[in-house]
Amino acid sequence: MTTGAADILVEPVPLLAARSPGRLFWRRLRGDRVALASLGFVVLVALVALAAPLVVGIAGVPGPNVQNPNALDVFGSPTGPSLAHPFGVDQLGRDVLARVVYGARTSLEVGVIGTAIATLLGTAIGLLAGFYRGLTDTLLSRFTDVVLCFPVLLVGVGLGAACSVHGCVKGAIEPGTATVVAIVALFNWTYIARIVRGQVLSLREREFVQAARALGASDARIVFREILPNLTAPLIVYASLLIPANILLEAGLSFLGVGVRAPAASWGQMLADATPIFNTAWWYMLFPGLALLLTVLAFNLLGDGLQDALNPRAGRAVK
Amino acid sequence: MIDNRRTYRSWGAALLAGALAVGLAACGSGESGTNAGASATTIPLKAGESPVGQHLYGKKRGGVLTVYDHEDFEHFDPGEVYFAEDYTITSATQRSLYSYLPSNASKLEPDVAEGQPVIGDNGMTVTVHIKSHIFFSPPVNREVNSGDVAYAIDRGANPNVPNPYFHIYFNDVVGAEKATGGPISGIETPNARTLVFHLTKPTASLLVGALSLPLSAPVPPEFAKPLDAHSPTKYGAEYLVATGPYMVKSNGEGKFLGIGYQPGKAATLVRNPNWNPHTDFRPAYLNEIRINIGGEPPVIGRQVLEGEDVVQNDEPAQSIVKEAYEHHPQQITFTEGSGDYYASLNTASGPFKSLDLRKAVWAALDRDAIVKARGGPLVAAAMTHFIYPTVAGYEQAGGAVGPKLDYNEHPEGDMGVAEKYMKLAGYSTGKYTGTETLQMVGATGPPEAEVAQIVQQTLQSLGFKTHLALVDKSVMYGKYCTVPAQKIDVCPNVGWVRDFADPQTVLDLAFNGKAIIPEGNSNWSQLDDSKIDTAMEKAELVVGEPARAQAWAKVDEELVAQAAAAPEVFASAPNIEGKNVDGVNQLWNTGSWDYDFTSLK
Repeated sequence: MTTGAADILVEPVPLLAARSPGRLFWRRLRGDRVALASLGFVVLVALVALAAPLVVGIAGVPGPNVQNPNALDVFGSPTGPSLAHPFGVDQLGRDVLARVVYGARTSLEVGVIGTAIATLLGTAIGLLAGFYRGLTDTLLSRFTDVVLCFPVLLVGVGLGAACSVHGCVKGAIEPGTATVVAIVALFNWTYIARIVRGQVLSLREREFVQAARALGASDARIVFREILPNLTAPLIVYASLLIPANILLEAGLSFLGVGVRAPAASWGQMLADATPIFNTAWWYMLFPGLALLLTVLAFNLLGDGLQDALNPRAGRAVK
Repeated sequence: MIDNRRTYRSWGAALLAGALAVGLAACGSGESGTNAGASATTIPLKAGESPVGQHLYGKKRGGVLTVYDHEDFEHFDPGEVYFAEDYTITSATQRSLYSYLPSNASKLEPDVAEGQPVIGDNGMTVTVHIKSHIFFSPPVNREVNSGDVAYAIDRGANPNVPNPYFHIYFNDVVGAEKATGGPISGIETPNARTLVFHLTKPTASLLVGALSLPLSAPVPPEFAKPLDAHSPTKYGAEYLVATGPYMVKSNGEGKFLGIGYQPGKAATLVRNPNWNPHTDFRPAYLNEIRINIGGEPPVIGRQVLEGEDVVQNDEPAQSIVKEAYEHHPQQITFTEGSGDYYASLNTASGPFKSLDLRKAVWAALDRDAIVKARGGPLVAAAMTHFIYPTVAGYEQAGGAVGPKLDYNEHPEGDMGVAEKYMKLAGYSTGKYTGTETLQMVGATGPPEAEVAQIVQQTLQSLGFKTHLALVDKSVMYGKYCTVPAQKIDVCPNVGWVRDFADPQTVLDLAFNGKAIIPEGNSNWSQLDDSKIDTAMEKAELVVGEPARAQAWAKVDEELVAQAAAAPEVFASAPNIEGKNVDGVNQLWNTGSWDYDFTSLK
């Protein structure tokens, strides 16, 4: 019996193996050697920071705050790299390697915690502004603009000058890691807020959101179950790009004397201390400067790699 | 279209690799570390590095000297001047009744005065005759008379002229204690060439020394009085006249602000056309002095060492001192007796009300480490008592070694002795167990920040909890350490330079209980010991240098016995000059360059 139209023989299409977004992400990231190397470096810095006492012990150098005037020359000038002090010493005879290692703690503490808080704040404000629009959006957007205009460094310097001795607000504000984290968090959420707002404005018009609304989903459910998951990828990317910016901000504030207090180690503070003696003690600027440069660079490259790996426009491989 | 992102990442990766390579290469190369052995002892001075015996006369005239000064000036008004850097300007533009030659820090030379003062009435009067043919610069142009000197001192009591010395050294003049800027009854001017000071106590010796202060430099009342009516006075802030060989460049009305002085930028001293060299011991070789204000000390230092016709007005950076000593020994001098530095310990509140705790800190503090932090033995020596070298009474008070007390004997620090005093204070473990946190306020920048951290570490090693704030030096002094109400426990960066060649000026204001005031307080430790105050009152009345030296040495011993502060270093000030400059140091003013005697080769 004939079928009428000519039968067309079609090769059976093999079934595509379904890959989860996570597996796709990891596959793309794995293929990016630069991003992997950066990830490895970031992990290394994090481990060094967490295990600082162990690292210093293994290196066989004194702790970061051990002053040793015998490590200075007769003019009181710091001596350079040697077996006993691979990165040299500073003006108090303290080991620079140890201080660079412990300085990583300060940088990561401020960079990661400050960014986490800034991301939370920015996400919340951006979500509210983008989702509810209207007056809410207007007010929150203008507030964001105002905060964006604040000269962060000047605010930090001002707080440092006003609150350095007895502290402000009954000692709640004074130069130190907590204050730097607060400055970073309170002033750097604005970029996240704007990005999130833009994304939410777009997402709220998508079909799946319309469908959820049609099914009677509450605003909270729509925000947390429909919109927020779709923000995860850009948030990860922008947060990873914000971390190095905040590390640099911490270094800048410490350089200006409003970061961590002496004798705590901080890369920015070390750069500031090294400036007057750079012509005779180059190592004191080189090593913390290199550490800062490499850490910031690694985070930037990692963020770039994450952006590529999470980009939904990258085509799926077809076998 | 080129994928910029990929290009950036490639460049980024290359940069990462390159930076790593540089870092590893740097690790393995460069200066080898040579740990210093035991603490440094001495470094020999090379020929020409000590200004003692410097020649003053017969040098080349002419030329323009360029001066680099990292810090700006505070005052040009001789009635307000206080800091060593400001003195370099007033000593070139103003002539006091008596002055020091740059080569002699202890002997007063008559300057505006004609001859030595006559002390009469058992030390209750001081008579000074002044020279004729000394003239004010334009626009005043007239001859100086005794009334000008009287007005200069009168205005020291004017609240618009915040003179830091008036009530310290002139209060014993009859009528001075209650003076507010008007004529002081105890300053008599029987004629245009004579001044007679009447005193309430026989403290004539002290007053004579005080007549070397810039406060005694003549000020024309007809020119200055309208300016002194402003608060603060405009005399010395916008307008100024001179009696010295130089004047701050000004217009025909005596206004120098914006003309001869741009705050934060520059100042210019030109010859005073009315200066009469026949009345003055100053040769004034230079035609002009141009001062550049600002710049980073290491950069300034290099410009001076490698330049010509230049000097640095303030202290060079530590790295520059080393470089100059090693490579330009003819261009650096070290002036002993440039003051001392110590850490004040608040004796009015907090744990340091306890004498034993203060002794513990004294014993534990590594003064040798502080010597190194300040630049080594060329510029510092471990301090062992409070009168510093070249001040009368230094040797009598123990000299370099100081009183032989267990807590004073080991400048490298002695934790065993420190623990002994901790236990005597009631801390049986040898460590402080109190709950309070010591409030410390130090100064930013090297070497103060490093010294503050050395003191902090010492306190922490004794078990104290500390909170160290590093602020600008002017804020440290102006807002915290000189204000008792701030209750700062430790000020680790305070220091003292004598006001004139008398040991009283080193000890009285710094440790007299009666000198404690609510603001601008210089008794930073707030020491208020009746025995010491009484000893000071007696020493104040002693006449004659040897006897005064002995009397104040006894006061010094008492201060050491009371551990009035934690001593750090006796300072020797370094000063650098350009290749062709024949600089002359003011031994009486921390070795600062004396522009009246400096010349170009």
